[in-house]
Amino acid sequence: MFEELSLHILDIGMNSLAARARTVQIMVAEHARRDQLTLRIQDDGRGMDEATLERVLAAPVSTKRGRKQGIGLGLALLRQTAEMCGGEFHVRSTPRRGTTVTASMKLSHVDRPPLGDLNATILALCAANPVVDVQLHYRSNTEHFHFSSKEPAEKKELSRPEKFWSGEEKTHYEPGRTQKVERESAAAGCLA
Amino acid sequence: MNLDELKKLKEKAQRQVALREGSKKYRVVVSMGTSGIAAGAREVMKTMLDEIEKRGLEDVEVRVTGEVGLEDVEPVVRVEEAGGEKTTYARLDAEKAKKIVAEHLEKGKKVDKLAVGKEKKPE
Repeated sequence: MFEELSLHILDIGMNSLAARARTVQIMVAEHARRDQLTLRIQDDGRGMDEATLERVLAAPVSTKRGRKQGIGLGLALLRQTAEMCGGEFHVRSTPRRGTTVTASMKLSHVDRPPLGDLNATILALCAANPVVDVQLHYRSNTEHFHFSSKEPAEKKELSRPEKFWSGEEKTHYEPGRTQKVERESAAAGCLA
Repeated sequence: MNLDELKKLKEKAQRQVALREGSKKYRVVVSMGTSGIAAGAREVMKTMLDEIEKRGLEDVEVRVTGEVGLEDVEPVVRVEEAGGEKTTYARLDAEKAKKIVAEHLEKGKKVDKLAVGKEKKPE
């Protein structure tokens, strides 16, 4: 069992890399009012057909695995964590299009593991395959940001959001400014 | 988690890409399957990256792989030399990882105490 949610994210993200994804999007949303934490790992890898998906999800949690990968221990562990913490777990997958894994849990659940070191997770995924664009979208009541390990080269001139990264992001949350404006600045931040 | 950290992280990730250019004397492969992650492979990798950077070792690249079939002795790291020699280190933690960087990757001396299995000599 993983002690941090970020380890789950790393594990599922490694699946995405194994599926030859070009982009791995990690979404973490903390919704205090609904008392919900949602994790989503979305990739554009080779995906799974229905039969494979069913097999992967139905596989019992076993420590007696052979060398064969993709038996579903990682998914099973995340499912267990989500369900243990009063949440849900879904996998959606389309062959050749990609896979989306979503897990939710109660933010305040006593068994909910801490988010942990998300930075280390992203660094590990980047090191695993620097060609892949690893993106993080994080949203909570007080913070909202977007990170991408790769910037599209043609957007490089869009460079100002030093401000966004330098810890002054609070200024973007002043009353009167809409969420949309804030989101744009966050998106620009990742392109700096 | 804060934005400054993320910015540094991005620079680090980009340096990783730069470090992949050309052929290196050493390639470090970290086993990052489910069992590796559960045993602490992420921290081992992070420590090695930090240590390699701190010592300014440029002839080393760090890569990641899935399960390597050594689930019971994770975290496992394999050091591959340009000549083809491979050394597998097992049951690592941050301290041991530092030692491998300092001894094997910097001075070229294998850390026999941490190595497992038979040496794979080039054919």
